Amino acid sequence: MTLTQRGTGIEIRGLRKAFGQVTAIDHLDLDIHPGEFLALLGPSGSGKSTVLMALAGFEPPTGGTIRIDGEDCTHVPPHRRNIGMVFQHYTLFPHMSVLDNVAFPLRMRGVAKEERRARAAAALETVRLGAFGDRLPKQLSGGQQQRVAIARAIVYNPRVLLMDEPLSALDKNLREEMQIEIKRLQESLGITVVFVTHDQGEALTMADRVAILQSGRLQQISPARELYERPANLFAAGFIGEMNQLNARYDGARAHFSDGTSLAVPQTALVAPVPPGPATLTIRPERVRPVAPGSGDLQGVVRDVIYSGAGTLIIAELPGGTEFRARISSAGIAPPAAGAPLGFALPPEGLLLYPAAA
Amino acid sequence: MAAGFFQPEGRRLSKAAVTALMLPFFSVIALVFLWPLLSLLSLSVLEPEPTLAHYQRAIDNPVYARVLWRTLVIALWVSAVSLLLAFPVALLMARSEGPKLAFITACILLPFWSSVLVRTAAWSVLLQRKGLINEGMQGIGLTAEPLKLLYTQGAVVVAMVHVLMPFMVLPIYGALRNIPADYARAAAICGAPPWRGFLHVTLPLALPGVIGGFILVFLTALGYFITPSLLGSPKEMMISTLISQQIREHLDWPFAAALVGLLTLFVTAITLVFSRLFGFDRMLGGRK
Amino acid sequence: MSQQNWMLNAFVYAVLVFILLPILIILPMAFSDTDYLAFPPKGYTLRWFESFFASSRWMGALRFSAEIGLLTALCTTVIGTAACYALVRGAGGLGAVFQGLLIGPIVVPHIALAVALYLFFQQTGLSGTRLGYVLAHTVIALPFVVFTVAAALSQVDPALEDAAMSCGASRVTAFRLVTLPLILPNVISGGLFAFIISFDEPVVAFFLAGIRDKTLPRMMFDDIEQNLTPVIPAIAVLLTLLSIVVLLAGWLLKRAAERKAPAAPSEP
Repeated sequence: MTLTQRGTGIEIRGLRKAFGQVTAIDHLDLDIHPGEFLALLGPSGSGKSTVLMALAGFEPPTGGTIRIDGEDCTHVPPHRRNIGMVFQHYTLFPHMSVLDNVAFPLRMRGVAKEERRARAAAALETVRLGAFGDRLPKQLSGGQQQRVAIARAIVYNPRVLLMDEPLSALDKNLREEMQIEIKRLQESLGITVVFVTHDQGEALTMADRVAILQSGRLQQISPARELYERPANLFAAGFIGEMNQLNARYDGARAHFSDGTSLAVPQTALVAPVPPGPATLTIRPERVRPVAPGSGDLQGVVRDVIYSGAGTLIIAELPGGTEFRARISSAGIAPPAAGAPLGFALPPEGLLLYPAAA
Repeated sequence: MAAGFFQPEGRRLSKAAVTALMLPFFSVIALVFLWPLLSLLSLSVLEPEPTLAHYQRAIDNPVYARVLWRTLVIALWVSAVSLLLAFPVALLMARSEGPKLAFITACILLPFWSSVLVRTAAWSVLLQRKGLINEGMQGIGLTAEPLKLLYTQGAVVVAMVHVLMPFMVLPIYGALRNIPADYARAAAICGAPPWRGFLHVTLPLALPGVIGGFILVFLTALGYFITPSLLGSPKEMMISTLISQQIREHLDWPFAAALVGLLTLFVTAITLVFSRLFGFDRMLGGRK
Repeated sequence: MSQQNWMLNAFVYAVLVFILLPILIILPMAFSDTDYLAFPPKGYTLRWFESFFASSRWMGALRFSAEIGLLTALCTTVIGTAACYALVRGAGGLGAVFQGLLIGPIVVPHIALAVALYLFFQQTGLSGTRLGYVLAHTVIALPFVVFTVAAALSQVDPALEDAAMSCGASRVTAFRLVTLPLILPNVISGGLFAFIISFDEPVVAFFLAGIRDKTLPRMMFDDIEQNLTPVIPAIAVLLTLLSIVVLLAGWLLKRAAERKAPAAPSEP
């Protein structure tokens, strides 16, 4: 018995969910491709879990449609959706053995006892827990319980696998191990995965594409590399990783700072057209190169130097009081001392320009 | 055994202080509970000489054996009917919040705050020949003649259910409330329609509370005295009324002691078995 | 789904009617101008209340029950709080024994305890005495008080007492000024509970009653068994009013405790 299946696509159109006066999801449009691993990333209260609840059918949406494999599922009850789901706290049925837990979805589908035992055993084998079928969930470690939960979610070859912050209850080492394991499993099964997380590292590591949500709205959806290298807007830029943000006035070619200096803005810095006027120039700290005082594009005074193994973080203050960060390799020359003046070179290919936040 | 609340923590008291603080509790329990009970039970096996004849008599004499059997049957009926009524109430409570939950809880707790005697009197008024229920049934043409409702086994069961049912609601509600909502969701997403999810997941997880409530009501019903004495006739006599009769009318202390012994041993045995399986906390509706 | 919910709601409300019906029906009968219990009540009178308050037998029973109830509340809270505290701060190991003994008076049927005490009190001359009732009711109510107090005590951070003692307080002072105020709402509601249990206890009262002194439940039992006049509903009305007052007091107490809790550090 093999567990191969092809994932199906999901089409979300104009999805809306309001709890009383509070709007949790606001006219969300989202296309999830067949076989894709999509991460829904956002701060708490961004509506990412509500989207998942609507996909699972636990929370009927206030408006809009959800199509799975082209079929309108908006108001289909959860038990008829043929979706697999892994919960935050595993939610294995405590009174059933591990094997019975995994076989439960098959039992609900009227699969004969012999066959469902064989298929459940095969699913347990897939998550490398073949020998644990007779145990009770509470006799397993957190990581093992999570793998059982995954086995239970994939045993009936669902079209889509939903995961609601499934790794948040695990400790750091185990979490990284499970990230790789889940990713590998998803690739070998070819199943569509929608994965909710608030951990950006997790989203970037695992997902084919990452959708960033804030206040119930979609901010950006793109592959991990693009999301980090070319965030679509200032929120996405600030939310993923560290980002230096400099207030400037854009005249169509150069960014002028309040202290009178200016910098040429290359066309590659414009993710989207930016109208002349107030703007924010951004650059990742690891793109910044510290140079001798007086040279480079910006001048500042070093406030803190933080050594953290492979890298060293320099936190400086610019003339207007703005904080500015640079990350350099610890293997390079000795870092400057706190209080020393320092110049920064900003390579044009690292620059990104956005309209100033309203 | 889970001692629950009674885990020691914090700075220890001296042995002398612990002894002094515990002494009143242990003396009251020993002097006013254990000693009287044991000396009564000793009557049942030592009077007039070491013997089990009194127990023999309770079981062999068909009149008394019938009382014991009837007590068991009535207690089981009361527990079963209570469960039937209490489970949906507990379920709705677990699914409600805010004013609705407060209202149902208040209604369920109300009987705790009103006298058992008053409620028993109310039943005797409701069930009498010219009572509200008889007149109501004749009024809508259900019956032509007033039925005899009072002093029947049915009256005893109904009134006891009324008094004891709240004790069933609380442990079941406690158990249901402790089941995270995600379990029902997990069952649904696995393909279980609501009733199957309830049957395979919610019900088994609530079972300790259900059994706890059932046993609590069953044990209380076994030794119930007031309601059967006032609403039943000698034909519906339960063990407690028999004990009272042996003492007050026949002054047969050894035999009454044997009946108390049977009742107490039975109740203690069931409690011990249950606490081995589930723990006391569950039986009292405690939250784990 | 919604149809199932509808059915569940309907069933539950029917059960609630069953629970409330007898209580709601007996109350109006207190005002019935008949010598027997009538529903719906015929006429309107307060004479059953008058005859209750004018009867020295009823008044005597009321006073007797109230005294026993108050003494029982006092005994159970003092004994129960001391034992709980000793257990929580003791050397451990006694917990299982303690719990076993505590469960005893709950599961052993009251009829068994009542008969045993009847015999015991006859031998010791405590039958029908105030002390006899208080001892019996203390045993019956003690487990409920202990559970109420223990629930509060398990919530108190033991480090608070350490802190008080490091400030120079003795053990006794630390308990009196720190721990006791924190558990006081539960101690009081435990005491209320004990009072109600004692005040409404019919089984032990049935066996222990002397010729002269009878508790209120015992008097009611006799009245129900013999003639069942509207005095019983009149007492039910009075008891219901008392319950409402007690419940309201408990609720106010709880609210006061909740309001006090967050502002605790600022007040002396």
